[in-house]
Amino acid sequence: MAVRPILLYPDPILKQVAAQVESVDELTIAVIQDLLDTMLESGHSVGVAAPQIGELIRVVVVDVSKSKLGKDNNHGLLEMVNPEIIEKSGSKMMREGCMSVPDYTGNVTRAEQIVVEFTDRAGQLRVIEASGFESVAIQHELDHLDGMLFLDRVSSLKTDLYRRKSK
Amino acid sequence: MNHFALTIVGRDRAGIVSQVTKILFDLGCNIADSSCSILGGQFAMILILGHPEITDRDSFGDAFKPLEDSDLSVALRVLKPGGQIRTNIFGDICMISVYGSDKPGIVYRVAQALGEKNINITDLNTKLVGSDERPVYVMVIEAVLPENVEEEDVNGWLTPIRNDLQVDITVRTIPTVEL
Repeated sequence: MAVRPILLYPDPILKQVAAQVESVDELTIAVIQDLLDTMLESGHSVGVAAPQIGELIRVVVVDVSKSKLGKDNNHGLLEMVNPEIIEKSGSKMMREGCMSVPDYTGNVTRAEQIVVEFTDRAGQLRVIEASGFESVAIQHELDHLDGMLFLDRVSSLKTDLYRRKSK
Repeated sequence: MNHFALTIVGRDRAGIVSQVTKILFDLGCNIADSSCSILGGQFAMILILGHPEITDRDSFGDAFKPLEDSDLSVALRVLKPGGQIRTNIFGDICMISVYGSDKPGIVYRVAQALGEKNINITDLNTKLVGSDERPVYVMVIEAVLPENVEEEDVNGWLTPIRNDLQVDITVRTIPTVEL
């Protein structure tokens, strides 16, 4: 149980593909716990992916229930091992920022609705349908597992901005 | 570091960017910020440059002469200290799409309405599309809304323009999220 530092680009770990988790063992649980602690500590964060704390395994945590945009449409805290998007539809643009790429935000278009399959902390296979902000947050975190940053999905740098508001 | 704004415009062809950036590289200029695009048949480059030693226009000598010789227009502006730093504009980001049959005043009327309400335009692109017989004008604006201004307010302020110019206007804010 520990709050871990968030790796910042250009740390090369952020650009690597994370490994599939063979079984949800103690080590996996420990990473999930560290992700939760790190997400809570950072206050404003709605999700963290394992590579962001230096663990190259396919684990993310997402919780948009405490955020203004996600509080009315969410699945609460999601602890996802080996998550995979099996269906996508619609599109939604948001201006994304990322803890691993501080001071920069960019417009990214993602699917509005997704169906995600993942293994939970208890080792159970789960399938959920997410939409709106939760869908965007999940897609953003899952990208980290494939070494993708939102910068890879930005189409125009022309309209970038710096930090939206000082926290 | 001293800063300059360089603009280059000329008939579009392959090789302009490499010709310009080779000169800048050889001069030891940093390209701090830039936007380059085709507008009509012209290629337009706008660059904010930094240089550790060069302080004035004359020091560039005839470095840009090869560009002028190949029919590119070159303009250099010396920035005052701090002129390269973008001031942080806080507020919700708003995209405004305007389109309709081409007629005079579309850009002006929309810009005027936004300016009056202190809405800062951060990006603006226009294009004439459609056929020769039925030209359609399209404009996309990115703007930053001041505090206490909502999407619906902007929508309302633009309604007279919708009616006067018979154009379609949509306003949508893009939420900023920290993930």
